[in-house]
Amino acid sequence: MEDRARGQANRRLTVLACAAALWAAAILWKLIHLQVLHHEEYARMAEAQQIRAVEIAAPRGDILDRNGQKMAISVEVDTVFVNPMRLPDAAVAAEVLAPVLNLDRAGLHQRLKAAKEEKQGFLRVKRRISRAESEQLRSLKLEWIEFEKESQRHYPNITVGAHVLGAVDHEEKGNGGVELEWNEELEGRPGTARMLTDVRRRGIEQQVETEPKAGTNLTLCLDERIQFAVERELREAVEGSRCSTGSVVVMNPHTGEVLAMASYPSFDPNKRPESGEDQAARLNVAISAPGEPGSLFKVFTVAAGIETIHLRPESVMPCGHLTLGGRTVHEAKHFFGPMSVAEILAKSSNVGAAQIGLRVGEERMYEYVRRFGFGRRTGLQLPAESPGMLRRVENWEPASAGYIAFGHEIAATTVQIAQACSVIANGGLLVKPRMVLKKQKPGGIEEKIAAEPPARALRPETAIKMRQMMELVVLQGTGKAARLSGYTVGGKTGSAQIYDFEAKRYTHAYNASFMGMAPLTNPSIVVVVTINGAHEYGGAVAAPVFQKVATEALRVLDVPKDLPDAATEETTDTERLVADAGRRDEAVAKTPVKPGRVPDFHGMTMRAVVETASAEGLAVLVNGRGIVRAQEPPPGAELPRGSRVRVLLAK
Amino acid sequence: MSRYLSIRDLDWALLLIALIIASLGVLQVYSATHDSNPRWANAWWKQIVFLAVGLILMWLIASIDYHSLLGQVPLLYAGAVLTLIAVFLIGYRAFGSRRWIPLYGFTFQISEFAKLVLILLVARFLTELKSDTLEGWELLKLAGLVAVPMLLVMKQPDLGTSLTYLPILAVGVFLAGLRWKYVVLVALALLVVLPASWFVLQDYQKARLVSFLEPDRDPRGSGYQMIQSRIAVGAGGMWGKGVTRGSQTQLRFLPVPHTDFIFSAFAEEHGFVGVIVVLTLYFVLLLQIVQNAQTAPDRAGMYVCMGVFAVLLFHVLVNVGMVVGRMPVTGIPLPLMSAGGSNTLSTFLMLGLVNNVRLRRFVN
Repeated sequence: MEDRARGQANRRLTVLACAAALWAAAILWKLIHLQVLHHEEYARMAEAQQIRAVEIAAPRGDILDRNGQKMAISVEVDTVFVNPMRLPDAAVAAEVLAPVLNLDRAGLHQRLKAAKEEKQGFLRVKRRISRAESEQLRSLKLEWIEFEKESQRHYPNITVGAHVLGAVDHEEKGNGGVELEWNEELEGRPGTARMLTDVRRRGIEQQVETEPKAGTNLTLCLDERIQFAVERELREAVEGSRCSTGSVVVMNPHTGEVLAMASYPSFDPNKRPESGEDQAARLNVAISAPGEPGSLFKVFTVAAGIETIHLRPESVMPCGHLTLGGRTVHEAKHFFGPMSVAEILAKSSNVGAAQIGLRVGEERMYEYVRRFGFGRRTGLQLPAESPGMLRRVENWEPASAGYIAFGHEIAATTVQIAQACSVIANGGLLVKPRMVLKKQKPGGIEEKIAAEPPARALRPETAIKMRQMMELVVLQGTGKAARLSGYTVGGKTGSAQIYDFEAKRYTHAYNASFMGMAPLTNPSIVVVVTINGAHEYGGAVAAPVFQKVATEALRVLDVPKDLPDAATEETTDTERLVADAGRRDEAVAKTPVKPGRVPDFHGMTMRAVVETASAEGLAVLVNGRGIVRAQEPPPGAELPRGSRVRVLLAK
Repeated sequence: MSRYLSIRDLDWALLLIALIIASLGVLQVYSATHDSNPRWANAWWKQIVFLAVGLILMWLIASIDYHSLLGQVPLLYAGAVLTLIAVFLIGYRAFGSRRWIPLYGFTFQISEFAKLVLILLVARFLTELKSDTLEGWELLKLAGLVAVPMLLVMKQPDLGTSLTYLPILAVGVFLAGLRWKYVVLVALALLVVLPASWFVLQDYQKARLVSFLEPDRDPRGSGYQMIQSRIAVGAGGMWGKGVTRGSQTQLRFLPVPHTDFIFSAFAEEHGFVGVIVVLTLYFVLLLQIVQNAQTAPDRAGMYVCMGVFAVLLFHVLVNVGMVVGRMPVTGIPLPLMSAGGSNTLSTFLMLGLVNNVRLRRFVN
């Protein structure tokens, strides 16, 4: 090989080497750029696509009724995903999935196809599928179907307590009722984890960073059994009389614990509201929809009268015509002559009540209305509670005291009425109604929710007089349908004409209502029933609901009967006995009893009764618990041979 | 010219470096595939078999005097072109192109073996020239001979492999003394033809070019491979994450981490230091081939060695350039490292050609 050619080749080889070196240098510089200078940045990019921060759901706290029955629980359910990139065919996949999941096949096909075209690796097909759906899908054993656990709120009793419980949204956050008001407590704190995922977003490894903290369990004051009965009776009454809405509150007047709170129409909190669906069914009528209380209010007017103008049950009021503020006050049915205060309540005289209201005067009337808790929220710790409507006294018209006296120009919610009625039932204390009894953090101790200290609203003796008059309403007056078998009852009917704001006049539809308590000597329950849009009076529509609800509640609560069952003829006797008993409570001094006569057992404990009776050689029939509230025959009477003294004890 | 051939006379330095690179390749193939799809899980084992077969083939081709091989060029060329045509007729189709011929249970990528024929063709053509310079019509004649198999491969379509034929021609004619005015002319012609070639490119090829310029334009589509490869290389850092620890590789963000993108996986697991070591090995390997070219007994031997040099240099620069984002995605393997039978065998055959020349460097 010639040297010249070799020399040329060598020169050209150098040129070639230089070109290659330039190229190599460009690559090398890029390598330095990637691996040395910007390594951190690329390491972060790698981490960003490989590590997914995942939330570990914290189970939401349960909601229990007062007996520990579960009213709302969270369960783990599956959510279905597919990896569209691994789908063999979108149409086939839609064909497989749609029938199992009850989805629209064409719609699903579109979604799958679109996701596949966009090269998504992750498509959520359906959230929170049922166990059956999940099992069916799993049995298909298709590798492109993936599952993820999600928490689902479940209300095992369907509609029972629905308005109180509320519901949760798709993220399991409360959107009504206790679920909303107590959301922070119930929710718990989700944990976090770092999940190493591969390119198909399959988790390879999970590293828990913070553990999830389960939510707090809440125990409500509700009694599921009473709640169930209340809802059933309310539904039957509203549907039976073709009314629009209604609500019932059952409350312990001493503690304020709400044992049942029902509204109609109701809803199933397990179902999500569909868009465009009427939300009216989700309204908790008992706390959110105030109405004019009507004749119910006469009870509070009379109580104010007893305390301010020394009214007594037998005081007589003129009950003729009355023109108030340019309008004539009508009686509901008949024209009445002069009546006693007790009769005004029993027969529900509007004119009589108005007269009392006017005599009490607007300042004191306003004060007493406030003392009974009207015009402000009860603070039940439920969302959307209405304060009702009560104008400040400065804004009252001259006739307002008269109209408010029979429950017009004022609006109150069912729970406000229950609170006011409890004042009379518990001896004069304004006890705030409460919905949540206690809370318990998982693994923690139970924590009672503190009740507000009650405020005195009435003197105890006023409350007792009111109870006696309310018993007459049931025994002789408008509330006969409310009589209970085996229990003494006090109550008041109400039938407020519904005011049509557009036509500016009262219509012929009523807010029919009844409030009552039993047993009357020491009421265990206060029940308020309101039925809106009724075409009959409260005594006809609402009182029977009270009767059924109270009977069931007293049975469930195992309240001792204070009367023989209605079937026996002694009813009237006992009625009298118990009615007298109240009066005798007032009698402070006890008359000494002559030997050989029936001793005075009033105020004794059961042990004392038995001891006294055995000392006297008497046979006693003891009923109830607590201290003696009534006895038959009365103290000092001669006891017929062979008969026994009956005493009734109550707390 | 028959004389005694001894294994001792092989270029052991060249062979040693090639085997070191190949072992790193096997390790990387193992790391990238050991827990993946069972279809690939034994790729590292297969690769060892290919290497062993490659070594035998290397010895076989080294033992036939390259002058006899050059004498058979017309036959070999005709055979190569006919086989490439056969690929169209009976070829085995995969990944959208027809590149493979099934034979005895294996599939052969004929275009890989056509390189050898072209190296011999160019060497013989340039050796037979009478002058020290290459005239224009001679260039066109040679270019036409190379263009036939190139177009056939391009039609498969396999642009990457067909492009590897170009450096054989380019380096050959350049060293043969192509006049500078032709060099400039060819460069200018390329400047005109390359943009025009846009219109004959397949859609996926266009997309690759676009995403080379702007990888973030379609990060889940055509830009995906570039971006993931860049992330893998960058995430490796100075020292790398360790064998089987590269998360981009192990979590399958990196596409084909055992074939075309093996260098990316290697860079992630062995870092900048590992990369420099491997690139240095390639550099020494290529130098060794050039040295063999310089000590070749005649011009034919020099052209054979430089042809091999051109192909391997092109492969390394284009593949590594693609991995780091300096070149568009062309889909050509990294010789000696990427898993794959045809490429491994053809690389060892080329090393055999170099040894062939070396064994005959002492002319008596």
